[in-house]
Amino acid sequence: MQQPDHTEATEPAAGHAEAAEHAGEHAGEGFNAGEVIIEHVANSSFEHPILHLPPLFGIDFSVTKHVFMLLLVATAVFLLITTAVRRYLRQDRLVPSGFMNALEFIVEFIRDSIVRPNVGAKYVRTWAPLVLTFFVFILGANVIGLIPIFEVVGLIDHYVLHTGEHSLVKNIIHGGTTATGNFNVTAALATITFVSIIVAGTLAHGFIKHWINLVPHGLAWPLYILLIPIEVMGMFVKPFALTMRLAANMTGGHIAILAILSFVFIFTEQFSAAAGIAVGIGASIPLAVGINALEIIIVFVQAYVFTLLSAVFIGMAINVHH
Amino acid sequence: MPGERESFVAGSLRHLQDNIRRAGPAATASYSLIGAIVLLGGSGHLIDRWQGTEPWGLLAGLLAGLVVGFYELAKTVWKRN
Repeated sequence: MQQPDHTEATEPAAGHAEAAEHAGEHAGEGFNAGEVIIEHVANSSFEHPILHLPPLFGIDFSVTKHVFMLLLVATAVFLLITTAVRRYLRQDRLVPSGFMNALEFIVEFIRDSIVRPNVGAKYVRTWAPLVLTFFVFILGANVIGLIPIFEVVGLIDHYVLHTGEHSLVKNIIHGGTTATGNFNVTAALATITFVSIIVAGTLAHGFIKHWINLVPHGLAWPLYILLIPIEVMGMFVKPFALTMRLAANMTGGHIAILAILSFVFIFTEQFSAAAGIAVGIGASIPLAVGINALEIIIVFVQAYVFTLLSAVFIGMAINVHH
Repeated sequence: MPGERESFVAGSLRHLQDNIRRAGPAATASYSLIGAIVLLGGSGHLIDRWQGTEPWGLLAGLLAGLVVGFYELAKTVWKRN
């Protein structure tokens, strides 16, 4: 028993020098940076969802990581805000304090400096709730993506729990945490904007007048043959731009951080553990911290830009200037 | 002194708000330009793959994307003047 064990243990050690030489040729054979990054950014696999649900009308309703994050964000935002508002309404004095104060600042900011200038005083009360919901939800989803909850769960699982291959804990760990980094999520949000543009135009001008308002009037008729298709395509381009920007920004930031951190492992594999640690302390960690700080700003700016552009588009349908 | 500091913060915030508000239409235009090219070029490419009409769908899509994108850009610029 002793002898075979010993040879087996030395064989990999002897092959290690060879492997290190080969590592130069096949970079990333042991540590595949691309795979690790995609695993941390993309949705979890459809074969092993967190919660398996039967398909309804041919649509698979199984809960994957991003769906789970969506539900988590929606529940967290709903509970946080309703409890804060309820507590505020129950108290005697009308001066908000603590979290409610911050919430009131956000509400006033969205209403007075995003919705009112774009939509106009007449329709502020109609569209401020939607735009505010957009802002709070996107901000919540973006911020939760920056908090390493599942990495901590993964560490606990690795050292303490040791759950099985496809257990609930393992399924929760896999996949990206930023729901707004998924194009399907942002496409759904942009679809809401798309529909509300039409609803806003219809409410303000009537259904037929809204479509007439899309093209500038008072031009020679041959121009309309050109302009109408362009305007119709432009109608779809605006929500698409919203979709693309939010998802790409959220995914891009995470990819940058992960790519910089994977230098540590690449250098360890190519040279030595000391080189990996040196690169980590000297370059990767300071850079990753810097990009994380930038991400905190981006998280706010992207939520802001999405709501601002939604308000601008809704306002364009309401206040038609020619 | 605290009052002065607060007014400085408030002033910066107001200026930031102001700048972002004025940047809104510009952001719309720039993103519509790229979005139009990507969306219509992408749809052209998909039509190519579906119908096997390489490379005409992609070319037509990119051209349409350019036209739509620049039209949106031009509309923003006209509105501001």
